[in-house]
Amino acid sequence: MKKCLHCENPLLNNQINFCCDGCEAGYNIINNSGLSNYYLNRITDSKISLKPELNQEDFVIEDYCQISNTNLKTINLVIPAINCGACVWLIENLLKRQESVVNARVNLTQKILELTWRGEFDVGKNLINLINNIGYKALPIEEGYIKEIEQKFNNQIFKALAVAGFGVGNIMLFSFALWFDSNNEISGITRQFLYILSSIIALPVIIYSGRIFFISAYRSTIKGFPNMDLAISIAIFLATIVSIIQTYRIGSDIYFDSVVMLIFFLLIGRYLDFKARKKIFNITSEFSLLQTTFGRVEIEGRVTLVPSKKLKKDMVLIVASGEKIACDGEIIEGETIINNSLISGEIIPQNVKIGEQVFGGSINNGNPIKVKITKNLNDSLLSKIIDIIAKIEFKKNTYVRIADNFSKYYTPAVHLIAFLTFIYWFFYQNDLWDVALMKATAVLIITCPCALALAIPIAQSLAIANFVKNGIIIKNGEVLEKLEKIDYVIFDKTGSITIGEPDLVGVYDITNQQFIQLNLDDLTHQKNFSIAYNIAKFSTHPIAKSLTKFLEKHVDNKDYKLKTELHQGSGISANIGVDSYYIGNKEFCNIDFKFDKIHHKQDDFQSELSCFFSSADHQYLFMFKDKIKENCHELIEFLQEQNKKIILLSGDKKIEVERIAKLTKINQYYWQKNPVEKAEIIQNLKNNGNKILMIGDGLNDAPSLALADISLSFAKAVDLSQNIADILIESDKLSAVIYLMKFSKITFKVMKQNLGIALIYNVLAVPFAIAGYIVPLLAAIAMSSSSLLVTVNSLKLNYKNKL
Amino acid sequence: MNVLIFLIPLTLIMSLLGLLAFLWCTKNKQYDDLDGSSKRILFDDDNIKKS
Repeated sequence: MKKCLHCENPLLNNQINFCCDGCEAGYNIINNSGLSNYYLNRITDSKISLKPELNQEDFVIEDYCQISNTNLKTINLVIPAINCGACVWLIENLLKRQESVVNARVNLTQKILELTWRGEFDVGKNLINLINNIGYKALPIEEGYIKEIEQKFNNQIFKALAVAGFGVGNIMLFSFALWFDSNNEISGITRQFLYILSSIIALPVIIYSGRIFFISAYRSTIKGFPNMDLAISIAIFLATIVSIIQTYRIGSDIYFDSVVMLIFFLLIGRYLDFKARKKIFNITSEFSLLQTTFGRVEIEGRVTLVPSKKLKKDMVLIVASGEKIACDGEIIEGETIINNSLISGEIIPQNVKIGEQVFGGSINNGNPIKVKITKNLNDSLLSKIIDIIAKIEFKKNTYVRIADNFSKYYTPAVHLIAFLTFIYWFFYQNDLWDVALMKATAVLIITCPCALALAIPIAQSLAIANFVKNGIIIKNGEVLEKLEKIDYVIFDKTGSITIGEPDLVGVYDITNQQFIQLNLDDLTHQKNFSIAYNIAKFSTHPIAKSLTKFLEKHVDNKDYKLKTELHQGSGISANIGVDSYYIGNKEFCNIDFKFDKIHHKQDDFQSELSCFFSSADHQYLFMFKDKIKENCHELIEFLQEQNKKIILLSGDKKIEVERIAKLTKINQYYWQKNPVEKAEIIQNLKNNGNKILMIGDGLNDAPSLALADISLSFAKAVDLSQNIADILIESDKLSAVIYLMKFSKITFKVMKQNLGIALIYNVLAVPFAIAGYIVPLLAAIAMSSSSLLVTVNSLKLNYKNKL
Repeated sequence: MNVLIFLIPLTLIMSLLGLLAFLWCTKNKQYDDLDGSSKRILFDDDNIKKS
């Protein structure tokens, strides 16, 4: 099949090189700038459309710009379509060829363009339009947001790690000489010189890199919950003091190298943790930045993009077909069909007219409409749900992570042993106090949770990276530990178990009050269905879309010349010659069909979606059902094997919930539950000590997601649910959930093994430390070997990821 | 062994320069977009003509 030269969408027969004028214009811009190599080098992704949009987005550029003293203006734009090096090259080079551009730099990781230009605001606007014209839709980001990212993810840990690495490497230079000087061949003065050099390197490193632990220890202590960092800080502090004394006395054991090495290893663990969080932040911010962050508002006759935070009462929103409505409001112009499935779980779209209410988060499936905002954002439906969630989160007890649990017993035990060691050597063996203190310090250093601090972060960051590769985003590492302990898995219906779109299940010939089910494969050569296809393809109604999708595969004539007319809320009519055709509801098609005729099946049909089709000679009934997602049965079976209890929790009608429950073999199900009732059911289960995994995507699931121990949502879900969920699945495939469960189990096992390794090493080493046999060389060997062992053990995760 | 007095500080100064260079790069956000940097190295340097 031929493809559009610019956006690579398939071409229709009558098109030569481009699918639309926009693409042709974009292609010409790129070619005329001499940047056509872009097309050779780019990596296209079918999920990303590069089709330039004809109606340019308009926003108040003044609100987003920073202006320098020399009147240069800078704006940050997020460009979601950027996915490869060629995109970066194209955008940067195209912009740099413009007279006014001072600098243009794309951050490929964050998909953010920083653009600086000279001149008026309008010049900048033209530059942004230029990017839009080549198919890269650019949206402005507020300056505060960029600052927030920078503050949250500053490079402190990275820098501290670099400094500690420098320290380790250079102190080792002297330590190697000292370690292997078993016959005391180095003279006292040289020895002291080397000690002093070590301290010159070590002290700044300890202060600079160690402050990460000191600050954390201090903060946790004044809060009354001393953490592991307090133990680390004490060990660092004591070892440093002892080493300074030994340097002064030209003693034998200085621990500068051990302390710096300790800081280095601990910081590796912190850094891995930090990196994983940053990666996840980048991915999730990409999601959330691009959805309903903007509403298109008409201000003084001009259409402007306004961030949803700034939407106010009485503004007029313009909602195009296929767009999400940004805020609750009342329709003041137009008539359309609204898809509420994300709000209520109902998949049958709703017809709305002037004067009716619509809710923020619903999708406009029909005509463009104008909506007057009737409520401020903080008393909309959305914010009411946010309030419920806030109350839940407040009550939610925090999970104690396995490492914290471990250190709760470990830290006091270690300090007690060190203290007893001091007592023993000082009082019973009559050592000098500093010799005894040194032995106690040796205990603290050898037990310092070096491998322990690496045990969890290494396994976690490897697992998270692997999940990301498989389209699963784990927003917080606790989840990997908690998944193991889940008792109940609770599913929302629409969008979680089912696709949330109608799917054709049957075609019936109902001419003259008969009721004959047609074989779906026999439709192929019937003229009537070819016509039905050609009519239905003009509508954006979910049922018509589903009908088109089905008939596309079955009919042969796809190009009937016909005149169609859309009747909002009822159906579509068409004329071919003198014959009239109707697709739509019963009244619209003028069909007098009584469902009681098939009353033995009536129950079945009530829950379904239907649409009628009347041609010149025949009348048909199409039946649709919400289709269950692929792999659903596999997932349910898998969960049952794992002895998890499964509940279906839906806001939909009884009959439909029952049908899905039967099909999926879920025995426990609830219907017509509102968000609060859903949350109550979960609370009850929780009160009985159960751990809950909630899978849901709608606004009505949001409180339940917040309440559950672990929450899982899909990339298609409403923003709020995405924000709350601990786990996000990029596709809507349920097979990802199976992968998640299996792989997190392996990860958890590796974490436990790592903790075991760290503990065994300590148990073996502590007696030697108490006995005073540990010299700095042994401490260094023990520390690095145990860390290495934990790392190697974690690497298993990279090989076990193909399940 | 007296040469150590000269050599060791020299080593330290050199490695310190390396560290400072690294910190300078970090401060200049050169490590902020590792994905981008890995691709950027493949770009041709052509003379950009301003239109």
